[in-house]
Amino acid sequence: MGFFTPWFLAGAALVGLPVWLHLLKKHRTTPLPFSSLMFFEQRTQSSIKHRRLRYLVLFALRATLLLLIALAFAHPYIRRTVLPLKHAGEVTVIAIDNSLSMREGNRLPEAKQMAKSLVGSLRPGERAEVMAFGQRVQVLSEVTDDHAPLNAAIDSIEPTDARTSFGELTRTLRSIRQSLQLPLDVHLYSDMQQSGMPPNFNDLRLGVGLRLDPHPLAAKTTPNYTVENVVALRRVYDNKKTRVLATVAGYGNTKTTRNVSLVLNGRVVESKPVEVPESGRATVEFVSLDVPYGRNKGEVRIDSGDSLPADDTFYFSVERADPRPLLFVHEAGNTAAQLYFTDALEASGQSAFAIDAATPEQTANLNPAKYAFVVLSDVGELPGGFENALRNYVRGGGSVLVALGHNAMARMKVPVSDDKVEAAAYAAREGDQFQSVAWLDPSHPSIQNNSRWDDVKFYQAIRIAPGNARVVARLTDGTPLLLDQKSGDGHILVFASTLDNVANDFPLHPSFVPFVERTARYLGRLDSGPSSVLVGSFEELRDSKEAGSAVDVLDPRGDRVFSLAEATRAQNIQFTEAGFYDIRRPNGRNELVAVNADRHESDLTPAPPETLTLWQNTANRTVSEAGGTASSEQKPVSLWWYVMLVVLVLALAESLLGNRHLSVDKEAA
Amino acid sequence: MIAKTVVDGFVAGLHRSPDFGFSQEFAEYRAYSEGDDLRHVDWNVFARTDKCFLKRYRGETNSQLLILLDTSASMAYGSHQVTKLDYARFVAASLCYMANLQRDAAGLIIFDEDVNNYVAPSTHQGQLFRLLHAIEKVAPGTHTDFTKPFVHFQNFLHRRGIVVVLSDFYEDPGVIVRTVEPLRYKGNEVILFHILDPQELKPRFREPVLLVDMENAANALEVSPEYARNEYRRKIDAHVEALSSKVRSAGMDYFLMDTERPLDEGLREYLAVRRGRL
Repeated sequence: MGFFTPWFLAGAALVGLPVWLHLLKKHRTTPLPFSSLMFFEQRTQSSIKHRRLRYLVLFALRATLLLLIALAFAHPYIRRTVLPLKHAGEVTVIAIDNSLSMREGNRLPEAKQMAKSLVGSLRPGERAEVMAFGQRVQVLSEVTDDHAPLNAAIDSIEPTDARTSFGELTRTLRSIRQSLQLPLDVHLYSDMQQSGMPPNFNDLRLGVGLRLDPHPLAAKTTPNYTVENVVALRRVYDNKKTRVLATVAGYGNTKTTRNVSLVLNGRVVESKPVEVPESGRATVEFVSLDVPYGRNKGEVRIDSGDSLPADDTFYFSVERADPRPLLFVHEAGNTAAQLYFTDALEASGQSAFAIDAATPEQTANLNPAKYAFVVLSDVGELPGGFENALRNYVRGGGSVLVALGHNAMARMKVPVSDDKVEAAAYAAREGDQFQSVAWLDPSHPSIQNNSRWDDVKFYQAIRIAPGNARVVARLTDGTPLLLDQKSGDGHILVFASTLDNVANDFPLHPSFVPFVERTARYLGRLDSGPSSVLVGSFEELRDSKEAGSAVDVLDPRGDRVFSLAEATRAQNIQFTEAGFYDIRRPNGRNELVAVNADRHESDLTPAPPETLTLWQNTANRTVSEAGGTASSEQKPVSLWWYVMLVVLVLALAESLLGNRHLSVDKEAA
Repeated sequence: MIAKTVVDGFVAGLHRSPDFGFSQEFAEYRAYSEGDDLRHVDWNVFARTDKCFLKRYRGETNSQLLILLDTSASMAYGSHQVTKLDYARFVAASLCYMANLQRDAAGLIIFDEDVNNYVAPSTHQGQLFRLLHAIEKVAPGTHTDFTKPFVHFQNFLHRRGIVVVLSDFYEDPGVIVRTVEPLRYKGNEVILFHILDPQELKPRFREPVLLVDMENAANALEVSPEYARNEYRRKIDAHVEALSSKVRSAGMDYFLMDTERPLDEGLREYLAVRRGRL
């Protein structure tokens, strides 16, 4: 407590006035002539009696009155943490977290109740809007001062499987602030998960005109178990090789044993106990999964017994199919390339393709359309009909891998694409007379995450003009090594060297296997996506050829996601719920997508209060610099009005009491 | 002037004589008896009835008014502009003026512990001015002593009439009645006007005061407001009550006059009470 004008306290000396009047003023007996003392008696009054506090209460009132007046003029104040006054037109934003973690216990109903209380406390004319946020922000009401739509919007909030993203929330709030051009008072109702904080704290910067009032719903970490991840093949071609590896995690738990089950199409296949360490992870392996043909729904469950059951199941989809054939065309005397290529495909761990080998002469009557893709390994002349069929095959969406060697040099043009061969680059095997890969395009599906081509020696390469083709790799002398040429809806991938170990030693290097495996997947249009995706991820529904045709999508509850009109237009879909989405495309490429909630949500550890304070302060500092009002700070709060109110009351009481004392005589009269 | 103003305001009738006389106002018939004056026989009745009846009329006699004005020092007290003595003088003057209007003989005795002045009752020309002059010259005297002057008063009363005593009667009611009562033996009508200041009736002191007796300056008392408010009032009320009671039981009239009340109002009230009684 302090005083703005402390020198006015000297006025407290005025208290001496009532003290003098009541206590110190000496009684003076006034001689008064009276007609007769016949009815009077001697009654001596002691001096003490005269000096006694005549009207104790009156004296106290007067003394207090003068003291308070002096105090009021001294302008007392106290330092108190105060919320700033509302800016003119300030909008209250009620942001409620509806992410997966809010399913824990009673968090979401509690948040909604608190939000409703806030709506009830809004003053008339004070405007607000309601939004729910998880990974994305949904604005559920317009800016209004009507409580009914606000309460209805709060009631409509349902828990989701999305992940908390405070960064996304902050970005949206900044955007709303800029569009409204009004200050926002944001009331955040959330469990304030630490995992919801963005990696870069700068993403939480609130900016000008934003004030944050967090209302944490959880003060401590709640123990929680989850199936964090499942590694399983999305497509299997060999039942014997199928295995499922599950990772089980515990957050804030003690070391305990839990039962983990593998479920396929709703039937428990296998259960295993697993010991989950304290706040740690454990893995469970299920081998020899007997997967029937077709699309299968797989789940790994943990009997957690915790208060957040939504993350106890991990979904994955498994599709069993027969291997697809590919045509490998090679010269009769060169089988090394086929050998290396076949071995590389088998070494990749999948038997998605069955290789049909043929010489150019044998291709005359072959229809390339029945193959997943075609490999032309350093072939010379092809039968004219087959080459034309290949061109049509590529234009219709098929793909061809062309490896160029001395046979192509003799022909002086690239098969199928008919690109002109410019020259042959030769190098000796001795000394440093070889070339290596100087540049790789890591974004190409054939190269992706496989950039360890440095040690590969290329002794012979065929130089062709790239034309419109995409150059994926170049040798040290600039010769394009790998070119991807799009023709119609198909691709022609040209490898400017051979697939055997004559023109290069590529087949002898480890990078050859992933190159062949990925190239096969790319050209064979074999989707190598994961067995499950996260809530919030997107999936392409159609390509350019499929425009106008309907795509049916059934969500985990079995309901259609799109209306009929939307089903013909939607280009992609975002998965918003955990479970299985059944996507049925017009060309028969049906797909079962397993969607899981982000396991960051399973960690229920709340962000420390210091973090929240720092977050709030990102607004404080900025607003202060902008000359606005800080959100909450120590401010001197004047007590002048309160003191004057007390003075008023005391003055009234003094008047009444004084009047009562004076009226004694009147009453007697 | 004050007396004239006061009296002119309310005088409307005359006080009646208790005797029958021969004036204009008929009273009754009475059978003739020997010795009656034949002038009063109603000859008309005799002519009709052949019997002698005398007509009797209500007599209107001139009365004698004697005012006894106490001028002791205590009468000089006044808590406002008009002291008790002033008030008593106004009352006396008013009564004298009223008596003069009715051609009653009015007299005045001014006394404190002794008789200070005496104007014998008379209807002679200039009597009113003598009375007023005597009243005007009145000055506060010493203390009151009823016993001594009242012995002399009986010597001044030669014929019956009305005796008005104006005083504050600071004496024991028994003594007062005993002293005044002999005046009534000669057929006088005795009226005691008890003149008191409002401060004497209901004293209001806001703080302790030292009261000095006006009749004896050596006598002083320190009085607290509480005492004046409580015990004194009880005592003065008891005194007034006792005096009133004893005076009336002795066949005299008593009237308490508060000097704060207007003079004419006091007199009117008194006369109204008195008329009702006759």
